[in-house]
Amino acid sequence: MIQIRGLAFDSPEGRPLMEGLDLDVPRGGNLLVSGVSGSGKSRLLKVMAGTERPRRGEVRIAGHLIWPGDGALALAGRLRMGFAFAAGGLLSNLSLEDNVALPLRFLGLPPVEVVRRTGAALERLGLGPVSRLRPHAISGTARKHANLARVLALEPELVLLDEPLEGLDAADRALALALIQAWAGDPACTLVMASEEPQALPGLEADYLQLIPPPLPMESP
Amino acid sequence: MVFLARLGAPVRGFLEFLGDQGHLVLQTLRHGFLLRSGQWAVVGAQTKLQIRFTGLDAALLVGGTALLLGAVTLIQAFSQLSGLGAENYIGTLMVLIILRELGPLLTAVLVIGRSATAIAAELGAMQLNGEVDALAAHGVNPYQYLLLPRWLGALLSIFALVVFFDGAALAGGFLVARLKYGITWGFFLESVRQALSNLDFAATLLKVVLFAGAITFHACHFGLRIRRSQTEIPQAVTRTVVSALVAVFIIDGLVAALFYF
Repeated sequence: MIQIRGLAFDSPEGRPLMEGLDLDVPRGGNLLVSGVSGSGKSRLLKVMAGTERPRRGEVRIAGHLIWPGDGALALAGRLRMGFAFAAGGLLSNLSLEDNVALPLRFLGLPPVEVVRRTGAALERLGLGPVSRLRPHAISGTARKHANLARVLALEPELVLLDEPLEGLDAADRALALALIQAWAGDPACTLVMASEEPQALPGLEADYLQLIPPPLPMESP
Repeated sequence: MVFLARLGAPVRGFLEFLGDQGHLVLQTLRHGFLLRSGQWAVVGAQTKLQIRFTGLDAALLVGGTALLLGAVTLIQAFSQLSGLGAENYIGTLMVLIILRELGPLLTAVLVIGRSATAIAAELGAMQLNGEVDALAAHGVNPYQYLLLPRWLGALLSIFALVVFFDGAALAGGFLVARLKYGITWGFFLESVRQALSNLDFAATLLKVVLFAGAITFHACHFGLRIRRSQTEIPQAVTRTVVSALVAVFIIDGLVAALFYF
């Protein structure tokens, strides 16, 4: 599903984070990307999603060349990909319901199916009572769950999760983990998850990629 | 060499800006043609929102400004040309000053002030919040969902606002002509009609199309360029206003030269 060759990318400040990464994730495979904050986990996920252009290298998703190329636009209408962001990512002028429904409407699904999938995804994540609210009016936990609900409603072939368990209490964590484990166990779904915790997917078969942040440059006296 | 580099940097920056604008326009057109039937409902809803904000919500402001401008134009004309048969030039004055030039130009200025700034700020905030990335990652093409509706909305709104501006300005002019010289509505309209030509309609239409493109894509360019901090948003808004104003004045001059020189 994911083929990466000779990937190199930098931090937003231009600091090199990755040099020459080769990576293969088969269809239905699971990959856990771990590393401390600032090691480039989120950046790697964004490069895979086609929203962040790498400095160098080739990225193919389901055989489609996204880098070098048009990035995520190359996948539109060809692959159902879901990306749960660590923070933000929900459209602030839309309700949670519309946030979840928008990608489905854009896929051209019939309205009845859009309503069914949206409602089911929001209910599964416990967001039914706040589904009409906009992201600014709900808690940080609910925003994280809304990100997962948007991914869930898409019935995705590729799931990218950026720190989906960070900052959740035990109950919310269990809710999110059950969903992630379902994706991880689904042979039709490829899962890539970034987490600071190397054991974030306990008991599941997954490949591990540990990112080590490059040393910070010393300032000259 | 340093001097040459300093000289070349702004030229290069300007060429890059033009290239980026061209890229945005071409990509938006390309992805617009690729829209599937089911996606038009989503794009249509976004376009309606843009028309409501840029067109409907601005109608009162544009109408009021135009009414006053039409009235003031004829007050000034009569004060300068009284005794020279000013009433015979009412139509020419209205067409030359309002319909040909100030109507499209002031409408564009008002749209820049109200809508281009809002588009730049909104897209900048969306960019910072990861919303643009989220759209692309979930198969919602940002050219189709963000840029195309804003362009179409601005185009239809500016067209409607220019027509409304011209109508309100004529009404303002007529009020003055009526009060000052007791001119009838029929005489006023006939005078305007005689001064108008098909060329004026064509020039106005071309201006509307070019203004809408310049305003929308300047706002989108500066809004989407925001990457790091919220402090970039007011800078992007200011750049949008200045840059779009310059573009609109240049386009206005070029169209005037093309049609009337």
